[in-house]
Amino acid sequence: MARVSRKPVPLIDAEFASNDDRMSWDFVASEGEYRKLIDHLPVALWQVDMRGVGAAFDRLKAEGVTDIATYLDQHPELVELGKDMVRVSAVNREAVALFRASSAAELVRPVRYIFEATPDMAKRVMVAHFEGRRNYREETRIAAFDGTLVDVLFTVTYGLEELDTSLLTMFDISERLKTEAQLRQLQADYTRAARISMLGELATSIAHEVNQPLTAIVTNAETCLRWLARDDVSLAKLEQLTTRVIANARRAGDIIQRIRGMAAKHEPERTSFDLNDVVEEALLFVRHDIESWRIDLSVKYGARLPKVVGDRIQLQQVVVNLLVNSVQAISQGSVSERRIDLRTAVGGDGATTFTIHDTGPGIPEENLGRIFDSFFTTKDAGMGIGLAICQSILHGHGGSITASNHPDGGAQFRFSLPAPPAH
Amino acid sequence: MATVPLVAIVDDDADIREALSDLLLVLGLRCRAFDRAEALLTEYQPGVFDCVIADIRMPGMGGLELLQCLRGYGASAPVIIITSDRDPTTRSRALERGAHAFLTKPLADTALLAHLASALARDDLLDDRRPQRPSDG
Repeated sequence: MARVSRKPVPLIDAEFASNDDRMSWDFVASEGEYRKLIDHLPVALWQVDMRGVGAAFDRLKAEGVTDIATYLDQHPELVELGKDMVRVSAVNREAVALFRASSAAELVRPVRYIFEATPDMAKRVMVAHFEGRRNYREETRIAAFDGTLVDVLFTVTYGLEELDTSLLTMFDISERLKTEAQLRQLQADYTRAARISMLGELATSIAHEVNQPLTAIVTNAETCLRWLARDDVSLAKLEQLTTRVIANARRAGDIIQRIRGMAAKHEPERTSFDLNDVVEEALLFVRHDIESWRIDLSVKYGARLPKVVGDRIQLQQVVVNLLVNSVQAISQGSVSERRIDLRTAVGGDGATTFTIHDTGPGIPEENLGRIFDSFFTTKDAGMGIGLAICQSILHGHGGSITASNHPDGGAQFRFSLPAPPAH
Repeated sequence: MATVPLVAIVDDDADIREALSDLLLVLGLRCRAFDRAEALLTEYQPGVFDCVIADIRMPGMGGLELLQCLRGYGASAPVIIITSDRDPTTRSRALERGAHAFLTKPLADTALLAHLASALARDDLLDDRRPQRPSDG
């Protein structure tokens, strides 16, 4: 196959071998031995005869063709011609196995069969060749002879100018892709589990939020009944009380709706919304904690924020996570001032930013670099996935999140979301 | 005729303040509502309020601290604690600090009325109560 140098190839370091004749052999690999090695390589290998292609490219260049991709789009027959003109001259065992063929002979023919499942790839291989690149690689799919589609990493190493031989390799990546898909699924399930476990932690808070409108409903309705039992019943008063019952029932319904939205398994959505609304909703989930730890909360909503495009529930989750984090930082440390500052704003580049600063003990310098890593936690009971999830959600929105220590003490988290594209 | 008692309501939730104010009104009582414990303390003068109804969880000072504060001032007005917190330790802490009653939300008007009657020493509040529905009578 490849041209083999006749120069001896020492496989043992000369220093060790110098005084021992038995070890000072020069291991010389003959072309035949190399063929055997190559035949057993665990990578599928094709030797391809590219004769005529170089000359064809030269003619095109002489005609003034520079943008070969466009040219081939206009002349698809050239690509088809190439698939028949370029021939496989040798293959190894792995190639035979990959294509579910019974012998190498089935593969030694024009390269057309390689591009059966992805006909466009032939054009891309030609473009890279025309442009004088040494290599081309692509994750693609081939159709084996029994009809199986196999995901492969496909590479081409083009021969030098005078060499009309190129090498193709393929490596079966279907297992890897399957594992990756499983990992993504696992990560999605895990994110959901984390969200639900966070909901569990927030259950008291939610119960409190729902109980408030229920209390108002019961008391207003009981007051209604008391008025109805009187001689001086006022219809206006009854109407007022009944209206309040309805308003509070709606309030309870809204809260339940939001909780359901947060707990539901859902595919990421893309809607356009105001980040300030998301912050307000998120506060609903942690207000109880903030109040019970007697934390002063200051919220500065930026005016005229551009709309953010993305998944509202996911971003709500980010804000809740950051809030819970700050509350825990304050409640675990012995701090004199208990305060959380929230701010939303629009930056010069049109990005919407959210900043949270707490008066907790801050983040030890040595942890700043890995605070967004999965499973990094300083809490005894923490899973260490809250901030990792925040980061992955923000990345999914084209945004970013940073952690720092505020000059006045305490931790500061800041995330930004890019401006939506102009229409 | 006895003067109409004045009850202070302290709850950060506007809907609950409204609802309780109207309930007290239909019971024939007067009331003033405050959204924070601090607001009541600012206006507090001995003898003005005959009873205080306070929520526990509020921004700033909570109901239990308010209770302690009032006792610190030597205020004798009975304090009825209302809360969503069903934790027995919260209940015993409230009663230890001298709460007249500890009621969980949602409130039952009959329970509140009974405690108000005893707090204000006005049994006539209960006598005054007429059947709400024919089936009750």
